[in-house]
Amino acid sequence: MHELTPIAPPVEHPDPLLGVRDLHYRYPDGTQALSGIRLDIAAGERIALVGRNGSGKTTLIKQLCGLLAPGSGQVYYQGRLLQGEHLEAGRLTIGYLFQDPDDQLFGHTVLADVAFGPRQQGLSAEQADAAAREALKRVHLADKAYKEPHHLSFGQKKRAALAGLLAMQPQVLLLDEPTANLDPRQEQVFLDLLKTFNGTLICVSHDLLFLYELCRRAVVLDQGRVAHDYSLDELVTQRGELRAHGLDFSFRLVLTPEADEAPAERGPACAPMAAEPTAAPLVTLEHYVFRYPDGTLALDRLDLGIWSGERIALVGENGAGKSTLLACLLGLQQGSGTYCFDGRPVTRRLQRTLWRQVGLVFQDCADQLFCASVEEEIAFGLRQLGLARAEIRRRGEEVLAMVGLEGFQQRVPLHLSGGERKRLALACVLAMRPRLLILDEPTAGLDPRSEALLLEILRGLEATLLLVSHDMFFVQALTCRTLVMHQGHILRDTATADFLQDRNLGNLNGLAFSYRQRGSDAIRALQHAHEQRHVHGHRHAGEEAALEHAHVHTHRIVHSHPGDDQAHEHPPRRFYGDDLPDHAHDPDRHN
Amino acid sequence: MIDIVHITVPWWQVALLLMLGPAVLAGAVAGLRRLARARVTAGEAPDWSVPPLAAEGGDTLLHRWDVRCKIVTILAYSFMLAALSRPQPAVAAIGISLLVLVAARASAARVLIRLLAIAGFIGMFLVVMPFTVPERNGDTLIVFNQIPWLGFNLRGLGLAGTIAAKAVAITLLMEPLLATAPLPVTLHGLSRLGAPEMVGQMVLLSHRYLHVFRHEARRMADGMQVRGFRKRTDLVTLRAVANFLGMLFVRSFERTERVFDAMRARGYKGRFPEPAEPRLKPGDLLFAGLWLLAGLTLLVWDRMPS
Repeated sequence: MHELTPIAPPVEHPDPLLGVRDLHYRYPDGTQALSGIRLDIAAGERIALVGRNGSGKTTLIKQLCGLLAPGSGQVYYQGRLLQGEHLEAGRLTIGYLFQDPDDQLFGHTVLADVAFGPRQQGLSAEQADAAAREALKRVHLADKAYKEPHHLSFGQKKRAALAGLLAMQPQVLLLDEPTANLDPRQEQVFLDLLKTFNGTLICVSHDLLFLYELCRRAVVLDQGRVAHDYSLDELVTQRGELRAHGLDFSFRLVLTPEADEAPAERGPACAPMAAEPTAAPLVTLEHYVFRYPDGTLALDRLDLGIWSGERIALVGENGAGKSTLLACLLGLQQGSGTYCFDGRPVTRRLQRTLWRQVGLVFQDCADQLFCASVEEEIAFGLRQLGLARAEIRRRGEEVLAMVGLEGFQQRVPLHLSGGERKRLALACVLAMRPRLLILDEPTAGLDPRSEALLLEILRGLEATLLLVSHDMFFVQALTCRTLVMHQGHILRDTATADFLQDRNLGNLNGLAFSYRQRGSDAIRALQHAHEQRHVHGHRHAGEEAALEHAHVHTHRIVHSHPGDDQAHEHPPRRFYGDDLPDHAHDPDRHN
Repeated sequence: MIDIVHITVPWWQVALLLMLGPAVLAGAVAGLRRLARARVTAGEAPDWSVPPLAAEGGDTLLHRWDVRCKIVTILAYSFMLAALSRPQPAVAAIGISLLVLVAARASAARVLIRLLAIAGFIGMFLVVMPFTVPERNGDTLIVFNQIPWLGFNLRGLGLAGTIAAKAVAITLLMEPLLATAPLPVTLHGLSRLGAPEMVGQMVLLSHRYLHVFRHEARRMADGMQVRGFRKRTDLVTLRAVANFLGMLFVRSFERTERVFDAMRARGYKGRFPEPAEPRLKPGDLLFAGLWLLAGLTLLVWDRMPS
C-alpha cells in the first residue's frame, strides 16, 4: 500500500470548458475502463493525464473528443452535453493527436491531409489550402507540403499530424504520447510547438519530465478512477504515490555526473578504455561501406571493433546510419569492406547463420512477436536452433524467470502490456544465448515502472551489449563505451562518461536535452529530502503508559524549498510509509 | 493441305533459343531497373510494386485537361489500341504514347517503373506464344532436329510482339493519366463519371496504407529472420507463415480502426472533401476529339488490307 494523501475535493470551475460527471465506460469485452470519473477542465488549462498502462487514460481522452460514447454519466463541452450535433461541431474544435502519426495521416500528400480538417469545417478549397500551408509553416514543414506521408521521417510525420490539428485552430488539444519514439531534437521541436499553443491542452504521457515542462495540473488515473488531481509540482514530489501508480521516474534524476548519487546508480563499473586491447575482437568492421539501392550512402568507410563482454552505446541523430549498421551486423544487409565475426570473415554462408550469434530486440516489439502464446514465442527461435523439447522448455522457464514473466507461458503476447511485451521480446532473444545482444531503443513507449524493471534486468545481464538509444539515462546506466554516429561515420568512439560531459558532441547529434536537464534539476529540488532528528514522545503500542518515554527520532522528509533562506514547512509526508500517528498532524518548521 | 515452311536447325539451338528469351528479358529488366534507380531522387527508396501517384505540379496541356475528359479519352483510346491486330499500327501507337509522354513531361523513372511492372507479363507471351500458336497456312516453323513436335512459329512471335507493343503503348499512357492530376482529383473525376464514391475512397486509403503495411510486413519478416526463420517446404514453415499473416491481419485491422477514429476525430462524416469543381471547356472536348481521331486512324490502318 502506498501512503495515501488525502484526496482534495475535485477541482470545480464555475464555467468549465470540459466537464465530466460520473462517467463509467465498459468495453464490449467486459473490461471496465472508467468508473465514476468526475473532472472539470477550464479553458486554457494544461493537464497531464498520467497513470500506469491500462488505467484508462486513452479511453478518457476518447470520451473527451466523443470517439467513445459514455456507458453512463455525461461529458460536457462548452456547457452542453457532448452528443448529437454538438458532438459533430465539437470534433471540429477538439484536436486529438494519435500516438502513431501513420494513423492520422491518411491524405495522399501532406498538404491534402492537413487541409482535410479545415475542409470539414466548411472552408473552401482555397481557404483550407491557405490554413494548411500556414499550419505547415508553424511546424517547419512548409517545404514538405507535396510529399507523400510515407516519405517523411517519424518526427516529421508527428509534426505533420499536429499541423493537421493546428490548421483547424482547435480550442482543445488532446495528445496521446506525443514524444513516443521521437529523437531528442524532434522532441525539443515538438515541445516548443506545444508551448506556443494557446488553448486547452490535455496530454497523456509516461514521460514526466516532458509533462513537467509542458503542463501545470496532473490528473492521476488508477483502474479507471481519478486517484489524484493536483498540481504537477505536487505530483513529482510524491515518490510514494508515483511509485504506487507505476510512475516513479526518480531513478532518472541521477543523470548528471555531478549528482551525488550512489556509484551503483551511476552506471556499470567500467575499466579504463585501453588504447589497443590485446584480445581479438568479437566484431570487426574495416572500411565498411553500405549503399542503398538508390545510391544513398548509409555507411561510409566504417571502422569498428567490439570486444567480448563490452557494453557499448550507439548514439546519433535519426538518419545517422544506426539502423543500417544494425542490419549489417545482423546479416540482413551486406555492404562492402571487411566484416569479421569472431575472427572469421562474414561470407554469404556465415551471414545466413549470424542469427545464432547476434540477437536483436526491436524498437517496436510487435515486429518480433507473432506467435499465439508466450511459450510458442520463446520456443520459435530455439526450434530454429534445433534444440530438444526438454531443453526448449528449460530455457523458456529460465528466461521467463529472468525477465519476471513466470507463469505467462499460456498468455497471448498480443494481449500483454507494453512493458511485458518488451520483456518477452528480450526473453525470446536471451533464450537463444546470443554472443552479441543488440537493443534498439529499449525504452520506447514504456511507462516508468516498466523502464525501471527493464533497467534492472539489463544491469544483471552478462553479455556483450550494443545499446542503440536516444535515452541518455540508459546509456549512462548500462554502457561504458559510446559510439557517436553522424552521417554514416563513427564520429567519436569514447568512454560513456566522457561523452556525457561533452555538450558539444550532444548538440551536434541532437542529443542534448537542455529542457530535461532543467526539469530534472527543478524536480530534484522539489524532491529534496533530508533526515531530521528531533525529540518526541514515543508510546510503545499496546503496552503500559509507564513505558512511554522521550527519545531522538529520525525522519526522512521530502519537501519543497521556496528559497534557501526562507522559512518553510515540512508537510506530514514521508518517503516510505512510516505511519506514526503522533506525527500526522505535526508539521515541522525550520530555517 | 497445309502449306507450312519448315526450317530445320540443330537440336541444341532449342536450348539456346529457350535461354535467349529469358536472358534478353532479364537484361532488359536489369537495364530498366538501373535506369530507373539512376533517376529516382536520392534518399527515396524506389518501390517497384506501387508506383507513386502524387502529382508534383506541372503546367502542360495534359495537366490542365479536364480530368473526366482525360479518363474517358485515354480509356477509350486504350480499348482502340487493344483492338489492333497488326504490328505496324501497334508500333505507331508506341510512338504516339511517347509523344504524349513528352507533352506531359512525364518522369522517365516512373515510366520505367511501370514498364518493369509489365515486363514479366510481356516476357511470358514472347516465350510461350511462338511454341503454342496453332499452325496455319503460310506459317514459318523452325523445327529442331530430333524434337519434331517442338516448332518455333514465327507468326506466334509476331503475335506476341504485337501484344507486347500494344501493352507497352497502353502502359506508357498510364503515367499521363495518373500523374498529371492528384490522385483524389482523378478519383473524383471517376466518381463524377458514375463510379461509386466509396470505391474511390477505398482506392485512396489503400494507396496510402499499402506502404505502411508493406513496411510492417518487412519489419516482421526481419524479426523472424533474425531468430533463424528460413522458408522451407515443411509444416513448421507453414505454421510460421500462418502466424505471420495472422498477426499482419490483426495489426492491419487494428490500424484500420484507429485510422477511422482519426478521421472521425477530424470531422469525417462519410465523405471526403471534394477537390475544386471541374469545369468543362470547349478546348477539353476538342483535345479529346483529336486524340480519339488518332485512335480511329490507327484502327482504320489496322483493318486496311495489306
